[in-house]
Amino acid sequence: MELNLHRVDYTQVGVTSQKTMRLLPALGKKATQKVAIADHDGVITCFGMKRGEAVPVFKSLPGPKISRMDLGGAVGTPQEKIFVCSGSQVRGFTKKGKQFLTFDANLTENINAMNVSGADLFVCASYIYNHYCDCKDQDYFLCGDKINDITCLSSEKLPHLLPVLACQDRVLRVLQGSELAYDVEVPGPPSVLELYNKNGGEEVLYGTTDGKIGLVQITDCAAATKWEIENEKKKGGILCIDNYDIVGDGVNDILVGRDDGTVEVYGFDSSNEPMLRFEHVLTESVTSIQGGCVGKESYDEVLTATYTGWVTGLTTEPQRADAAAGDEVRMSKETQSKIEALRAELEQLQIKVLQGRENYQQTSQSSTAVSAVPIFNINDKFTLCEDDASYSLTLEVQTAIDNLLLQSDVPIDLLDVDKNSAVVSFSECDSEQPNGNFLLATYRCQANTTRLELKVRSIEGQYGTLQAYITPRLQPKTCQVRQYQIKPLSLHQRTHSIDPDRPMNQLSLVGQFSFAEIHSWVVFCLPEVPEKTPAGESVTFYFQNTFLGTQLEAAYCKGEGRFKSDNISTISILRDVLSKEATKKKINLNISYDINEDSVGHTLRMIHPKLEYQLLLAKKVQLIDALKELQVHEGNADFLIPEYRSILDESADLLEEYKKQPAHLERLYGMITDLFIDNFKFKGQNVKTKVSSLLEILDNYDLDSLLDFFSEP
Amino acid sequence: MMVPIFTLKLNHKINPRMVSVGKFDGVHPCLTAATQAGKVFIHNPHDRGQRPATHRLSKSTHDSDISLLNINQAVTCLTAGTLGPNTTGDTLLVGSQTNLLAYDVHDNTDVFYRDVTDGANAIVLGKLGDISSPLAIIGGNCALQGFDYEGNDHFWTVTGDNVRSLVLCDFTGDGKNELLVGSEDFDIRVFKEDQLVSEMSENETVTSLCHMHGSRFGYALANGTVGVYDRTARYWRIKSKNHAMSIHAFDLNADGVVELITGWSNGKIDARSDRTGEVIFKDNFSSSVAAVVEGDYRLDGQKQLICTSIEGEVRGYLPASKDFKGNLMDSNTEQDLIRELSQRRQNLLLELRNYEENAKGVSQANSTMGVIPANTQLQTALSVRAATEAQRAHVELSISTPNETIIRAVLIFAEGIFEGESHVVHPSVQNLSGCVQVPIVPPKDIPVDLHIKAFVGGRTSTQFHVFEITRQLPRFSMYEIIEDSSAAPPAGIVSFSINERPQRVVMWLNQNFLLPEVVESPNVTFNSLRGGGFMSFHMASNGQITLRTDDIDLAGDLVQSLTSFLAIEDLSVEADFPSYFEELRTTLTEVDEFHSVHQKLTADMADHSNYIRNMLVQAEDARLMADMVTTKKRYRELYDLNRDLINEYKIRSNNHNALLARLKSVNQAIQRAGRLRVGKPKNQVIAACRDAIKSNNVNGLFRIMRAGAASS
Repeated sequence: MELNLHRVDYTQVGVTSQKTMRLLPALGKKATQKVAIADHDGVITCFGMKRGEAVPVFKSLPGPKISRMDLGGAVGTPQEKIFVCSGSQVRGFTKKGKQFLTFDANLTENINAMNVSGADLFVCASYIYNHYCDCKDQDYFLCGDKINDITCLSSEKLPHLLPVLACQDRVLRVLQGSELAYDVEVPGPPSVLELYNKNGGEEVLYGTTDGKIGLVQITDCAAATKWEIENEKKKGGILCIDNYDIVGDGVNDILVGRDDGTVEVYGFDSSNEPMLRFEHVLTESVTSIQGGCVGKESYDEVLTATYTGWVTGLTTEPQRADAAAGDEVRMSKETQSKIEALRAELEQLQIKVLQGRENYQQTSQSSTAVSAVPIFNINDKFTLCEDDASYSLTLEVQTAIDNLLLQSDVPIDLLDVDKNSAVVSFSECDSEQPNGNFLLATYRCQANTTRLELKVRSIEGQYGTLQAYITPRLQPKTCQVRQYQIKPLSLHQRTHSIDPDRPMNQLSLVGQFSFAEIHSWVVFCLPEVPEKTPAGESVTFYFQNTFLGTQLEAAYCKGEGRFKSDNISTISILRDVLSKEATKKKINLNISYDINEDSVGHTLRMIHPKLEYQLLLAKKVQLIDALKELQVHEGNADFLIPEYRSILDESADLLEEYKKQPAHLERLYGMITDLFIDNFKFKGQNVKTKVSSLLEILDNYDLDSLLDFFSEP
Repeated sequence: MMVPIFTLKLNHKINPRMVSVGKFDGVHPCLTAATQAGKVFIHNPHDRGQRPATHRLSKSTHDSDISLLNINQAVTCLTAGTLGPNTTGDTLLVGSQTNLLAYDVHDNTDVFYRDVTDGANAIVLGKLGDISSPLAIIGGNCALQGFDYEGNDHFWTVTGDNVRSLVLCDFTGDGKNELLVGSEDFDIRVFKEDQLVSEMSENETVTSLCHMHGSRFGYALANGTVGVYDRTARYWRIKSKNHAMSIHAFDLNADGVVELITGWSNGKIDARSDRTGEVIFKDNFSSSVAAVVEGDYRLDGQKQLICTSIEGEVRGYLPASKDFKGNLMDSNTEQDLIRELSQRRQNLLLELRNYEENAKGVSQANSTMGVIPANTQLQTALSVRAATEAQRAHVELSISTPNETIIRAVLIFAEGIFEGESHVVHPSVQNLSGCVQVPIVPPKDIPVDLHIKAFVGGRTSTQFHVFEITRQLPRFSMYEIIEDSSAAPPAGIVSFSINERPQRVVMWLNQNFLLPEVVESPNVTFNSLRGGGFMSFHMASNGQITLRTDDIDLAGDLVQSLTSFLAIEDLSVEADFPSYFEELRTTLTEVDEFHSVHQKLTADMADHSNYIRNMLVQAEDARLMADMVTTKKRYRELYDLNRDLINEYKIRSNNHNALLARLKSVNQAIQRAGRLRVGKPKNQVIAACRDAIKSNNVNGLFRIMRAGAASS
């Protein structure tokens, strides 16, 4: 990695949303650029750097939370008008801070994505897309799932503007007027879109919430994927992308900001494949990123904004060699004055805060006053990781977190995350009544922890709520609770299509229920289903079990629902939950199923390679220590059979692999047991008494004997 | 950023905490560590000449720098240093669960080999108090033993529980070393020779101790805590979710003051300032750290910090040169300072905003915000609750709000009384109310600070006010006062007299017990909620105090607590615990039995191994003569014999474990007898008990335990 960047902190504003910081175009050549950033307090701050100090150009008054920012201007002029959206309103400011536009989009929902292109304005609320030209309504589109971001292609090759929506259901939707032209399947839920070439072109960069990046070429009738970068190291989800030639080789590099604080620069090798050139880890989510020149003339840098509002540059400017040897660390005059100013400000604030505290204390004497502390911001994410079929929960707060209480009313496992330095302690909980707690854990955080990452493993069929009580280190102390649903089929993930050749079991429901009702049941059962009832008469969703690879097709309409899966346990769970939900609503359901006898064998054969691999791995790992001891004893390993020698050679990899998948084998055993019980439940037999003999067979695993046992226990 | 000056991959696993650097030829430092399969390896990169591989020592075949030492037993501790007066180099000391070996690596000879029945969990080498020669002091199951170069034990005493860590340092500042002992009962004890001078209570097993400078020392606990004490006062401590494998004092930033270097189970190494605990340097290994030691490994006159990982990776660090100016990390102090100040500003601004919004009033209040009346104050009460059918006996902490607000959850952070460091009460939505009862069962009689955090708000709130309260649980909280003492008094009795007014004793009672109301007289009876029966306390007008209880530990705790409250330095006591003494008598006879069984088994084993030797020769003979039938027969016999041997081994190890348990309880008995006394009488009792056991004078032992040492 030949790229060497140094970190410089410029300023701090309030909490920021995704894509709310932009660099204004430079005036002359090689001059420094101004930074515009908008935060949750509704303040737009525009500043430039002068001798290491942030000098504000303008600062708007506080208002409602700003969710996006974009730059625009008439075609052919510098794009230096600042557009921000808050609520359902879009406002425009000149680079001097004069407001020239207030536009109410008249949406019932808040705008969460926006794009400005010449006189065209594109805004998106959760499911709604709107196109305005010169503030006049043009097009409208209702999307099947949540819209995360929007961008707009304009090129000579294209007959008209081509808006592209990034939707939660893992597709990019390309629109033509008010109609869907086509959609592009991407490997994860896309969270951000960026044009590959800012001056037009047909290529769009996307980033996904599970950390993948890709480039697609979009034309008016079809799309082609250029390349994809996988997320092998399991870094955070992508929040922002930009392209800028930071390396200085004439090719634009890709700048990426992730929600775990990672900033990456990808360059291109000779075969035009992206490769990582630079990586830096900030402590909090990177919400916006852009390449440009801010701190010092003629030194390019990567400018980032983080969740808590820090504007930080990673500059190519070499760090000056620290003060000459021999004397104390000498600070430059600028920093010194900066620090003094900060200290003075702090002192004044202290006094004010003390006053505030006193007043607050006094109100506690009064019997009529109430204490109401404003709600603090929490940036949270609860997502299923495909690789290890577990959920990751990340929490981020503006100030340091003091402690976190996790409570769950379903049995779940809390896994250790290396990055996380907080001290966890599990409290005894009586899962029986009256309190029904299955997990009570506290995390006591080290000082300055603003971001926490946890991993949770759920069991399919057991559903309920996970609650997190977050207490930041802020006076007066308050805590906020966040709830996360653990759904009955928690390990399922949406996919684009399923394999039609597998033997499938089918569950059919017929009854007096509306489309909205059955949709709400599906939402209750499965993750990644939009809460809004889809448009149209009927809908079909496809899912995949991230742990076993089995699949599920859910097709339903008013009065009827069909669920097909090759895994009989999935069908069993669905049946139980759906009938329970229907009973709650006093709806009579007519449930019928069509069990395919081959499906169990098929599922077992699907599990087989995984199970065999795990068993072999466990066996090998067990041998490592003994073999090493033999090696030490005998001085070398030449006398061992090749199989054992290879175990010794690969011992490090084996251990690594083993550590990565804690309790993998137990989970597989659990699922086979469920399969066994469910299989016979559909046949009307209770085989719980035979589970012990099943476990015996699993201990001496052999596919054929297992299959035999399933056919005749 | 500081980088290691050398890195070695030794290809041998290293057992945690069993690493030392010794100059076995008096010149060249060698890294010595215990590894798998009951071996110790010595890494000597300086002397590449071939040396004969004889006796215990053998050359490792794939690394010429490493010699292996066969101990044939799992090594439990290891150290190297000067033991004898006239040796050229350092002596290597290796402890196992049953033996201690002192070995001269240079001459390839055993210096001594001793049976240690109490095992050797930890070892330290050096001078202790006024004892003239250096001692190898081992800590085993409740016992401490010190050997000189001839293998004579010059030092013996008992301690509260299994010893896990030892260090020698001048704790009292008198120019002589005291012995610091960390044990499994969470205590750090300081011995001035065999006299206990101080005792510090921690909240987990003390796994490591190290001397910093002067009377300052570092410690590490099994729960991930690391900290520094100066004498009996704790300077700082930090807690991590990882475990501290090894701690060491080393001046890494060359400022003249040592830092506490900690090696963690996740492979992290960090150096912390001895004053503040601030991290000044850190580095990472790919596997858990095994130990941190120091030595002049490059022979250039400078000591290096040597860190080892359990996978055999070794890194050496030189103290920082002047250029670093104490800044060993890749950080920019100015930037950090500015960042910190900005962060503080941001926090203050946020706090200010909280007050401003609050002052604006309820205009924007909604039910989820958790608005509560400003005069809400939490009431807490502690009370003793006897066992009922549904619940076992406990101390009840009751927390309630004065108005219609509810308590969503209660978090209690306290040390040493919960499984983790916290306890949570989270009622289900149906059971929310303004009052929460938390049952607490402290496992030991220790005073505990309960840091209570209660989440208070409305029923549908998503944001709650956090009330933080600290309450202290008195030392003897699991005892319920009873009015009528008609029941038969316990047989165990402790009596002593003090020169104090009864009021002072009453004050002690009120402070150390959880009483529903203040008691006026020093004559009270309690019921132990842990099921230890009654305990009565009586003080006559002449200052004669009589304690009646069957629980000897409780009696000891009461005596220690009372005397430290009244600042009594020496106290001799008469005591009798008939049932406990009877148990001890049985234990002592059992010890004898197990000993004799042990001897018999050892003899049997020797027979068997001779047998095997013969059999093997016969079998091989038969094989060479191509007499396959006999070979098979012999080998089959050999196989049977081997099985017998394994079975016998199992019996032997069971026997051994049972013996160890008995010995531990004997040691504990002596410790308990000591705890009934204070100061000089205490040490006399311990010493006299030891003598009585040595001379197998069982009746004498009980006499001493009853009456103290002075009368014998």
